[in-house]
Amino acid sequence: MPKRPSRRPDGGLGRTNEPGLLILTSLASGIKHGYALASDIEAFAGVKLGPGTLYGAITRLEERGLIEATAGDNRRRPYRITAGGRAALAEAVREMRTIADVGTARLGLLAGNRSGGDRRARALGWTG
Amino acid sequence: MSGRRRFDRLLRWYPDAWRQRYGDELVALMEDTYGDRPVPWRCRTALARSGALERLRGSGLAQGGEGSGQRVRSGSLLVLCAWAVFVVAGAGFAKFAEHWDAVTPEGARWLPAAAFDAVQWAALTGAVVVLVAASASLPAFVRSMARGGWAPIRLPVLRAVVVAGATVVATVGIVLWAHHLRPRPAGRAHLPYAGAAALWALMVVATIATGTAAAVAVARRLRFSPRVLRLQGVLALAMTLVMVVVVAGTVTWWGAVAADAPWFFGDGVIGSTASRTPPALVVAGVLMVLGLAVALPGAIRVARSLPTLPTE
Repeated sequence: MPKRPSRRPDGGLGRTNEPGLLILTSLASGIKHGYALASDIEAFAGVKLGPGTLYGAITRLEERGLIEATAGDNRRRPYRITAGGRAALAEAVREMRTIADVGTARLGLLAGNRSGGDRRARALGWTG
Repeated sequence: MSGRRRFDRLLRWYPDAWRQRYGDELVALMEDTYGDRPVPWRCRTALARSGALERLRGSGLAQGGEGSGQRVRSGSLLVLCAWAVFVVAGAGFAKFAEHWDAVTPEGARWLPAAAFDAVQWAALTGAVVVLVAASASLPAFVRSMARGGWAPIRLPVLRAVVVAGATVVATVGIVLWAHHLRPRPAGRAHLPYAGAAALWALMVVATIATGTAAAVAVARRLRFSPRVLRLQGVLALAMTLVMVVVVAGTVTWWGAVAADAPWFFGDGVIGSTASRTPPALVVAGVLMVLGLAVALPGAIRVARSLPTLPTE
């Protein structure tokens, strides 16, 4: 299947472990500089982004206008999510929720035994 | 070495413009992350990979995330770079294969002759494709110059012109020298001339490399209409097909000569034994495979993006 990021409604953010998506998710709770971003992402997603990967993704997101640098210390420059970034993140989250809902229904992970289902899913490597 | 300098060295893979924008931040992040501890090798290799990727993106060869036009352009430029590798490999192959038919039995000539002809015709077609692509880019180039587009391309273009000029002068010199050489006994090379010829070959490679770099630097800045971009994309696909034909022809020729006239790879004396994998041919073959490995991702990118190119 051809990869056409520009046609994706989420702006090509891709899978849940994509650095761009993780950065937008982190910035959705407020402005952060590089180290704060890496720490937050590790805390909420368990993903350790290396400096090269993190700044590669920051470069792409800034080029696409999804985040922007704010005034501050040039060596620890904070970033914030833009309106376009919020829209792209919202679309990506909607897509993921749709998939999660379908997966939940098909696996029979009802609200009552949700924690058991989550444990099963984790054991099968289906969740982060 | 101070902490700051230690981290600065790790950023040498990145292009200058990127380092100016993000370098200080990235160093600060590494200071916060690693402090006085050594930077893990995994991080070092990731930085090298990211830096190389930024350089590729800066050169216009990496896949642009936005727009089918940008993807067609970057894919086409990748194919152009692959063609430059093929020109070097093809020149080596042509030089190596000189007079192959003189020592090949007549009944066994048809297959290598057909393969050799296919390579020659493919090379000619490739040259025509490059000329058509350059001609199609000319109006956009003229418009760019009129808008003051000379400054950003000045350095790569001047570098290519100087290297090409030096190679022309060297070519005249080596041809004149060759005409004044006295015949030498078989097996005794004229060492100074052989050295000069090797240097001249390197200059030809440098001319192709700097010329291609200049072409990429110019083409990535031109504003092409969708019609011209479509044409460039189609030409890139045609060029990739040409490269496939060159590789197939070379392999067929190599196999046929190795089977029926292996002495050609040695001293040329009919009936003598020789290695079927002469180094010069192996190098040409490896370069062709390398070129194809560069061209195919570019061609795939073009083929996927062409259908989504906007109309005029």
